[in-house]
Amino acid sequence: MDFLSDTVALSRMQFALTAIFHMLWPVLTTGMGIYLVIVEGMWLKTRNPDYYHHARFWAKLYVLNFGIGVASGLPMEFQFGTNWAPFSEAVGDFFGSILGFEASMAFMLEAGFLGIMLFGWERVNPVIHYFATIMVAFGANLSTFWILAANSWLQTPAGGEMVNGKFVVDDYFQAILNPFMLNSVSHMFLATLETSLFVIGGISAWYILNKRHEAFFARSLKIVLATAIAVTPLQIYVGHLSAEQVADYQPTKLAAMEAKWETSPAGQPAPWSVVALPNNQTEQNDWEISIPNGLGYILEFKQNLSKPVLGLKHWKPEDRPRMVGLIYYSFRIMSGIGFFLAGLMGLSVIQWLRGKLSPEAIAEQKWLLRIWILAAPLGYIAVESGWIVRCVGRQPWVVYGQIRTADGVSHLPASEVLTSLLIFTVIYTALFICALFFGSRIIRQGPNLELPVPGVDTEPVAETTPAEFVPDQRPVEAEQ
Amino acid sequence: MENLEHFLAQVWFVILALFLFLYVMLDGFDLGVGILSLTSSNDDRRDILMTSLGNVWDANETWLVLMGGALFGAFPLAYGTILNALYIPIFGMIFGLIFRAVAFEFREHSTNKVFWNVAFGVGSFMAALFQGFALGSILEGIKVDEAGHFIGTMWDWFDWRSLLVALTLIQGYVLIGSTYLILKTEGELQTSHYRTAKLAAWTTLLGAIFITIATPVVYENARAKLFHQPEVYLFAVIPVLGVLLIWLLIQSLNRKAETTPLVWTVLLFLLTFVGLGLVVFPYIIPPGITIYQAAAAPSALVFMIIFIGFLIPIMLFYNIYNYIVFRGKVAGTHYGE
Repeated sequence: MDFLSDTVALSRMQFALTAIFHMLWPVLTTGMGIYLVIVEGMWLKTRNPDYYHHARFWAKLYVLNFGIGVASGLPMEFQFGTNWAPFSEAVGDFFGSILGFEASMAFMLEAGFLGIMLFGWERVNPVIHYFATIMVAFGANLSTFWILAANSWLQTPAGGEMVNGKFVVDDYFQAILNPFMLNSVSHMFLATLETSLFVIGGISAWYILNKRHEAFFARSLKIVLATAIAVTPLQIYVGHLSAEQVADYQPTKLAAMEAKWETSPAGQPAPWSVVALPNNQTEQNDWEISIPNGLGYILEFKQNLSKPVLGLKHWKPEDRPRMVGLIYYSFRIMSGIGFFLAGLMGLSVIQWLRGKLSPEAIAEQKWLLRIWILAAPLGYIAVESGWIVRCVGRQPWVVYGQIRTADGVSHLPASEVLTSLLIFTVIYTALFICALFFGSRIIRQGPNLELPVPGVDTEPVAETTPAEFVPDQRPVEAEQ
Repeated sequence: MENLEHFLAQVWFVILALFLFLYVMLDGFDLGVGILSLTSSNDDRRDILMTSLGNVWDANETWLVLMGGALFGAFPLAYGTILNALYIPIFGMIFGLIFRAVAFEFREHSTNKVFWNVAFGVGSFMAALFQGFALGSILEGIKVDEAGHFIGTMWDWFDWRSLLVALTLIQGYVLIGSTYLILKTEGELQTSHYRTAKLAAWTTLLGAIFITIATPVVYENARAKLFHQPEVYLFAVIPVLGVLLIWLLIQSLNRKAETTPLVWTVLLFLLTFVGLGLVVFPYIIPPGITIYQAAAAPSALVFMIIFIGFLIPIMLFYNIYNYIVFRGKVAGTHYGE
């Protein structure tokens, strides 16, 4: 239990805990924001009240997730100062600026228009409301852009150099457009969208399987399918591009992802390991199943490697990531889920084309609907695994090749960090249970299809008495 | 060149002061309403209190996130040192803000609202209390070495002076929360907030008098600055204006005015803020580190002005628009008759 008195380990654990927990919520809201834009747009176009009720129903889950996302996001920003003061001082010129951009351009936009999106249906006209919904979705996705730009810079620092322990930026645009940025932003954008689509699809499938509002939820399932046709294969492609970049820029991470201890020279084939038991002490895999010649095909689509692939033993132990097994399996879980979701999407589209997803027939597709329900949490697991690969794989560096994690930590008594870590663990566990409990309650209650559609029977209210109070929707919905 | 560097650091000091002021004013009434909810006699009242914040609380809290990000980028040394020194108050505030933020969502779906009522009220109180401790200990000074790194201990932030600031800040939040509720409610609920506003006005005044007297008596650094000619006249004007504003505030409460109590309170916050800013300037980690020592490179400051500066009016515009859309009284349908 040495880590209990080790401030570096405790600060890392606290950051990992808060990051892993925080990520669960914005992953859903950023993707679902786009979905809400789609359904509200369909409503404005077709004036079909179903689409309006979709917008209202999913927005309930949206706001539940948004609230927890805001609450759990606060410690993320402040920890850079509290627990990683030397890191903050060294890279603040760039990294801090980017967090400022995220707050001012993205998060403020999302928060500023959220009130109108949730409670403004009766108070502003539909076009302004739609604008607010678009701004909420745009703000959330802009957050993804800035956060991923900042994180990519930690992976592939560019645009300046370290001078006397402080990163001096020569070119801010080069720093933002660092080598990892484009693929990382795309990979995360698709990840949030894919996760949200399968959550919405899984919940829709649950309703259909339970014979509640089958036609209503067949609609959302088809919107999900129509979007996922493009998203799931594209995500696999972008993921592959990201892996190639890791091979080029972060060879230590690639070696850990593949649990590869020995270097494979250029011009020769190399095996690719499918399952293994990496052992940090003996510096080899205790046991593994591998595909001969596989690595060449994965990296370059040919048998022989054109460049050597370095094994972990190429670096001194203090220069390579320690948690090889965690990185190795996280990578396999992430990619496995990516392929599984693409397969599920393909299968569902075939059934759709065969006419099996019509409102009358869809409830008969029991096995398919059950797989969709099981697939609902998979996106989250893939995202978390991906981030473990990304950030644990970057160790021992906090800024890859520039600043070691151990040098970036604040001088704090271990007891102080341990206390805050324990409180976070308790609070976050409780919040997670509450979120599942209240989320499932919202789902069990189902959509309120009686909700009056604005512009149909409430038009006079919005038009003639804007200054008077129109009852807020919250208490009404709370009474359901 | 030196002039330009100084100018840029000053610009960012003012921008950060603006963000902090907007946060203290907006989340101030937000947290104040949360603290006042602890005194609500029934759930209908709490419904109205929380509904009055439903559409604004996260936008209000975002000013804190923005202030944090901008401080990180513009004064990285101050960001690291101050947050490192204030580890316990910062996490105390964060835990409080987490409780109250999730209470908004969970309370609405919960059948047993008592727990979330307490989480909302106590969370708001905790956030205000620890913000006060943080403010108090920054004003008091943070122990740093020559490079500006924190060398104090984990309980440095806790003493009677920071406690006094914390209690006064809570009173201030209760005051602005009460005057906001006077504007947003009617009937018996409004009447009760005329009472809380008046009480908070007196206790805030009391706290402010203590702090005004204690500042030159206890803090040597401030003393020299406060009694330096000709600034001494400026510093003398601030408490006089403050007393005047509190008098106007109490008058407007006696008249049962609806809007002016909030206006006087906001002006009182602004005045206090300007006063504190003048006492602290040009230090960002009092008593030793100035904004010029802690500032990021000029290129970073320029880059941030280009990206954030032009957004300030836009952010203000849509935040104000949000308040305009939801202007007027909160639903009285559940309550009062």
